[in-house]
Amino acid sequence: VHEPADLFPGSLELLVLKALSLEAMHGWGIGQRLDQMSGEVFHVTQGSLYPALQRMLRRGWIKPEWRVTENNRRARYYLITAAGRRELETQTAAWQRASGAVNGILQFRLSGGGQ
Amino acid sequence: VNALNDLRERARALLSSARWRRELDEELRFHVEREVEERVRRGEDEAAARRAARVKLGSREAVGEYVRDATGVRPLQDLLSDVRYALRSLRRDPLYAIAAVAVLGLGLGAGATVFAVWDSVLVSPLPYREANRLVRVGQLFRQNTSIWQLSAVDAQAILEQQRVFEEFGLVAGGAAALSGAGTPERIPVGRVTAGFFRALDVGVVAGRPLAPTDETPDAPPVVLVTKDLADRRLGGAGGAIGRTLTLDGVGHTVVGVLSRRTDELPGFGASVWPVLKLRPPTRRGPFWLRGIGRLRAGVSLEAATRDMAAIGDRIFPLWASSFQDRTARITPVPLRDTIVGDTGRSLALFAVAVTLVLLVAIVNVTTLALVRASAREAELAIRATLGAGRLRLARLPLVEGLVVGGVAGVLGLGLAALSLRSLALWAPGLPRLLEVGLDGRAVAFVIGAALLSGLLVSASPVRAALRGAGDLSRHRDGRRTGADRRTTTLRSALVVTEFALALPLLLGAGLLFQSWTRLQQVNPGFDATGAVSVRVDLPAARYAGEPERLRFWQALEERATASPGTTAGGLTTELPPEDVGNVNNFNLVDRPVGAGEAEHLAPWVSVTPGYFDTLGIPLQEGRMFTDRDSGDAPPVVLVSRSWAERYYRGQSAVGRQMVSGGCTTCPHTTVVGVVGDVKYLGLAESGDAVYSPFAESPPRTAHLVVRTTLLPGNAFRALRETVSGLDSELPLVEQTLTSRLDEALTGPARSTAVLGSFASVAVTLSALGVFGLLSYAVRKRHREIGVRIALGAGPGGIARMVVGGGLRLAAVGSAIGLGLAMLEERWLQKFLFGVAANDIFTIASVTLALLLVACLACVIPGLRAARINPVEAIAAD
Repeated sequence: VHEPADLFPGSLELLVLKALSLEAMHGWGIGQRLDQMSGEVFHVTQGSLYPALQRMLRRGWIKPEWRVTENNRRARYYLITAAGRRELETQTAAWQRASGAVNGILQFRLSGGGQ
Repeated sequence: VNALNDLRERARALLSSARWRRELDEELRFHVEREVEERVRRGEDEAAARRAARVKLGSREAVGEYVRDATGVRPLQDLLSDVRYALRSLRRDPLYAIAAVAVLGLGLGAGATVFAVWDSVLVSPLPYREANRLVRVGQLFRQNTSIWQLSAVDAQAILEQQRVFEEFGLVAGGAAALSGAGTPERIPVGRVTAGFFRALDVGVVAGRPLAPTDETPDAPPVVLVTKDLADRRLGGAGGAIGRTLTLDGVGHTVVGVLSRRTDELPGFGASVWPVLKLRPPTRRGPFWLRGIGRLRAGVSLEAATRDMAAIGDRIFPLWASSFQDRTARITPVPLRDTIVGDTGRSLALFAVAVTLVLLVAIVNVTTLALVRASAREAELAIRATLGAGRLRLARLPLVEGLVVGGVAGVLGLGLAALSLRSLALWAPGLPRLLEVGLDGRAVAFVIGAALLSGLLVSASPVRAALRGAGDLSRHRDGRRTGADRRTTTLRSALVVTEFALALPLLLGAGLLFQSWTRLQQVNPGFDATGAVSVRVDLPAARYAGEPERLRFWQALEERATASPGTTAGGLTTELPPEDVGNVNNFNLVDRPVGAGEAEHLAPWVSVTPGYFDTLGIPLQEGRMFTDRDSGDAPPVVLVSRSWAERYYRGQSAVGRQMVSGGCTTCPHTTVVGVVGDVKYLGLAESGDAVYSPFAESPPRTAHLVVRTTLLPGNAFRALRETVSGLDSELPLVEQTLTSRLDEALTGPARSTAVLGSFASVAVTLSALGVFGLLSYAVRKRHREIGVRIALGAGPGGIARMVVGGGLRLAAVGSAIGLGLAMLEERWLQKFLFGVAANDIFTIASVTLALLLVACLACVIPGLRAARINPVEAIAAD
């Protein structure tokens, strides 16, 4: 069974970490927040979000906690851990280096070339 | 931390999987609800919103699967489901499951027990620092492979001249009366020099170790005690120091408490270790000391052997007047070898037996598994046709085999733990008994053997599955294909192997049984019924001189003989039928041994005339000892019939003279009579014995033997009263002569029983094996047999055909087994008494018995075949 992929591999975890670094959220909230933060560019489906959360739990980047929502309903919230914050920093730095490099390649022109 | 977290999450998903699922479900449901809510808030109609949300988010089950994948426990869950499947299918076939697990479990349990004993006793190093550098030093004779002890002369020469040991110490084992408070108790003691504990590197937890100054003649006597004794009797390690222990009437000051349980100290189970003081020797003997040395780093055993031999050569001429055996060599032997002794030999017997049983067990379960697998060929074929991959199909029998092996392994571990716990009961004389346990290596052995047997058991079904059991048509009517013939050959080979393994076991058990019955028939030479004995030890301090000792012994014999119920009484230094303590060397005056040759040896027993009456030993020639045979009269002895026959066959031994104990300056000893044979060296040994008059040199330790009409309990009470009437501080050791005889037979009885039970297990397994094979063959050849019957074969003929097939295998197996047994013939002979390892009667009867069992096992499938209805059989397709 393969889960549907919709982002660069590994980038979903980075975005989730970023979202959780601002506040603890439940799964639906994370999806909404990513939609909103990305200006509706990314639509994260349950099918990829929850497996990703499970993987991140295993790595110890986040931890679960059952809480009561503002509407008085029980929901599983996810909190970023200290390890998760460290991971966010390294992945952010790596992403910026990589995307800078990709941008550099995409904008590259051969000087004096005209073909 | 991350790996730990990972494991925790996986374990959570795996272990509390019901709760895990519930929570995931709740989370996903919440997600949908929230999505619907949001859409309604934005103005959508509720029903439409619900539909849209469902469509957007996809199936909850699928998401659940994705998340479960992400937990990383799927392979494990698959394995668990395979295990569950295996357990289910085993439950459907309980006879196979129980038989396989029980048979393998027994084999593994026996294997683990012997492995644990073997490993702890023979393989693992002694529990001392760098124990491989420890040696025992003793005298080794050319004629005799067992190691003798050292004399004070040897010990002092070694201490002064040796250049190979870092430390060298001496120990003399013995017993002492511990008196003072309460009932006097006779306890084992090890008298040691300071070097003994230094060589072993065993220190003290309180007080101080022994020092060389403690060994000087005028130093106050001191003693070390074990922690255990200090706790039990002296109020703990701290309180013990400075207390006084009275040993054989001499006060010893406790100066230290040993840091170790002394059960572990080589060869001795003593809790009290007084200092050993050597007096200046006047002759080369007696030999009563054990030397313990720690080799210097880098010094080889060979170098030490040369050094010790050189010392022996240097002192030989100095003491030649009292010791003429030039073949004697002072020799170091690895300490481990002297402790373990010939345990290796009997352990090897058990190890071989157990390995055979384990092999038979595996072979048998393999046959059972084969029969079972062929019954499931159709099922496998259907599964293959429905698209199950070969690997998947092969995994099922493999997992099943491993499950059987695993459960059997657990059973085996339990059995091994039980039998090791009761080890002291069935192997009381085992050296290093307390070190034996189910350690990590034994557990690893069981796990390994269990997995291996699981693999072996599942090997051929797995191979069949891998080769492609998928050809459904081939299995429809049991036509005999090439593959079938191959597996039939394999099955037959397995049955042959079983019989080949069972026969040597059965033969061994038969021979041991014969040997044991012969041993029971041995005439011990004395009448044990109604004879009881007490051992009395006189403390040296109060009975220093021979006159006091003689007075005590004479009074004791007189009073004991006169007490009611007693019909005869006497004193002796040794009790039959085994474990004689004093074996003396002698040289015959009229036929001396050649120069430099070892002198003859015989058990040397010091007795009063009453001893012969008490045990019913007849005087056959010459005269009995009289009151004049004492003190300074010329020394005389009585000899046994065997002794007389050995040295003076066809002539009279009476009047012959000898030099006893190598004492060439002493007056010659004269043989004055010949008495009946009594066994002192064991029932299987010769009846040689030499008796000297008790009064000639009254010993400190002797047994009072009386023949009584009282029950043993009452007789012992009367004897205790008699002894305490003479001296109230003497500890006694009580024994009936019947119990001594019984003890001499328990060892052989025990090994007969053990090998016998192995053999019966192996025979049962072989019978089961041939029964299973024939049952399978009859089922498989159902149609063929039906055709034969239809063509006119009678039921008798059919039954003969089936039974004959089975018996042929049994006969071939037994023949191979006989061959195997004959290879081990010489080795087997060492364990036997009064019966030859190639005894034709035993061989014939065990072979016949085995074939008879095989025949019985063949009859049921034979009859089943004869009763096949040809119409049904042929129409079955």
